[in-house]
Amino acid sequence: MSAVIKLENINKHYKMGDQVFKALDDVNIQINLNEYVAIIGPSGSGKSTLMNLLGCLDTPTSGDYYLKDKLVKKMTETELAHQRNESVGFIFQSFNLLPRASALENVMQPLVYRFIPGKQRKQDATDALNRVGLGDKIEHLSSQLSGGQRQRVAIARALVTKPHILLGDEPTGNLDSKTTTEIMALFDELHSEGHTIILVTHEQEIADHCHRVIRLVDGKVVSDVRKEDGDRQHV
Amino acid sequence: MFKSALAIVEGTKAALSAIRANAMRSALTCLGIIIGVAAVITVVAVMQGFTKQINDQLADMSPDVTNIKPFTSREQEMLGKRAKLTYDDFLVLKARIKEAETMTALMFTWRFSGGAEYGNKSHSSRVIGTEQDYQKAYRTYPELGRFIRAEDDDKRRRVAFIGHSIIDKLDLPENPVGEYIKLGGEWFRIIGVAEKQGSLLGFDQDDYINIPISTMSALEGASAQSNVQIMFRLKEGTNEEQTIAKMKRILRQLHKLEADEPDDFEFETAEKAREQIDTFTNSATAITAGIVGISLVVGGIGVMNIMLVSVTERTRVIGTLKALGATPGFIMLQFLVEAVVLSLFGGLIGLAIGYGLSGLVSVLVPGMPGAYIPAWAVMLSFGFTSLIGIVFGLAPAIKAARLNPIDALRYE
Repeated sequence: MSAVIKLENINKHYKMGDQVFKALDDVNIQINLNEYVAIIGPSGSGKSTLMNLLGCLDTPTSGDYYLKDKLVKKMTETELAHQRNESVGFIFQSFNLLPRASALENVMQPLVYRFIPGKQRKQDATDALNRVGLGDKIEHLSSQLSGGQRQRVAIARALVTKPHILLGDEPTGNLDSKTTTEIMALFDELHSEGHTIILVTHEQEIADHCHRVIRLVDGKVVSDVRKEDGDRQHV
Repeated sequence: MFKSALAIVEGTKAALSAIRANAMRSALTCLGIIIGVAAVITVVAVMQGFTKQINDQLADMSPDVTNIKPFTSREQEMLGKRAKLTYDDFLVLKARIKEAETMTALMFTWRFSGGAEYGNKSHSSRVIGTEQDYQKAYRTYPELGRFIRAEDDDKRRRVAFIGHSIIDKLDLPENPVGEYIKLGGEWFRIIGVAEKQGSLLGFDQDDYINIPISTMSALEGASAQSNVQIMFRLKEGTNEEQTIAKMKRILRQLHKLEADEPDDFEFETAEKAREQIDTFTNSATAITAGIVGISLVVGGIGVMNIMLVSVTERTRVIGTLKALGATPGFIMLQFLVEAVVLSLFGGLIGLAIGYGLSGLVSVLVPGMPGAYIPAWAVMLSFGFTSLIGIVFGLAPAIKAARLNPIDALRYE
């Protein structure tokens, strides 16, 4: 299996007065195509920071990040924007849907940056909304949707450009347990369809869905466990 | 190339939907521009209305009429001397200059500045002593009766040709020909009424009374050698330079000027007068439009302010768009288009209001000519407002484009 994500000696430091806060401390991770990964750890352990780096939203203080064998730090702002558009689909805890826009418009938005013609755009977005089970709500504004429905719209939006990697930063953090179960079932399905899925979570049930669990403490990877055929195996 | 065209189309769509989504804020953003453009258009329209009116009236006046006026140099003035052109000067010139198609003289005297009386009404008007050629030089035509003729002048008849407004001012009958009015204590018979001329710069051009110049001169008595103004038009094909030189020679002889003394009169063509008025009205338009144009800049600053607030307010949305793959260029384009569209929209509304306002001003303010909005003013305000949109939209657009996606997403 080829590595879609390779992190080499990644550090992310924040200066706070005289002190240096190490959000990520010499992180080395390799994630292959179609892996289903959970990144867990207590708050402040650096898991969200890691996620933002993976999503090309943030840059490391030092170290190399290869996304699909391309070194991210050599990319211009515009190239980074293209990577965010094509290579990764980012799902936020608070959904981050565009206000005053319908579900369809939200899902069409990433396609705008690819200059896909309007008709095709609408078709692709409708397909993505059907995929997450919201085919009957495409004209609803995000304010008219429930939390679970909003997150489905966000997932459809992440899916619509057919990226290799889906990144979820606490995707069920704002949802009740029943909706959480539904959303996780959706992630399971997407994984079985061939997507590489990386989720940040602090809930054990979520981590249990995944096939590989990376635990961070104080910015360091303290364990990286892969479940295979029900067994747990250290990498 | 194709991609950037698409980016402009998409950026415009995004900008328009953002404007629609915040209709109230957008309207407020435009307000400064609306007021600015409306003010500029109104001022330019009214000023141009004046200019147009002046030009139209000057066009009526023959451009080939030349005025001879007395001219007193500063030094002469200091010595208490005042140059004069007299009725005799006029008579000599009229007799000797055969090249003139028409030549006429105007005389104003203190005696008649008191005004005119009819019944128990009195009105102080401009009483001008003149003769038959005045009609040809000034193209004033009688609506009723006739103008002053040569025999009126020869016989020093006490007759008056009046401007149209005098009828109302003195409460004269509708056809006042044959009525008697009192001028400077003497009775004059009305022989004609001029066609209406209208007003120029709020100045009633129909408020005057013409009497024969010889009559006026005679009634002045001892101080008969009063100041006159002479005007003439040369026959076609006349050598203007030579003729004027000849007239100058005659006047210098009449005034007994030594060879080293300067002329105590000057020649002034209508063309020259028109140039002076043109220069004046054009610079007046430019200055007022410039002052009012400052309000457009203030409006532009308003656009910038609100766009900056709008960028701050939409920081999270911008972060989301960036996370979805919006390039810095795209975000910049979107905000720039938004600023330009808002400015242009404001310009359009301002233009409409300016049209209405200038129309209203010319209707409501008496003596105001019809407003006239030249095409250049429309083009200029659109060019200027889009420029304002770009210039003042640039800072907010750059701010939006430079936002770090993760900082933008975390913005509360």
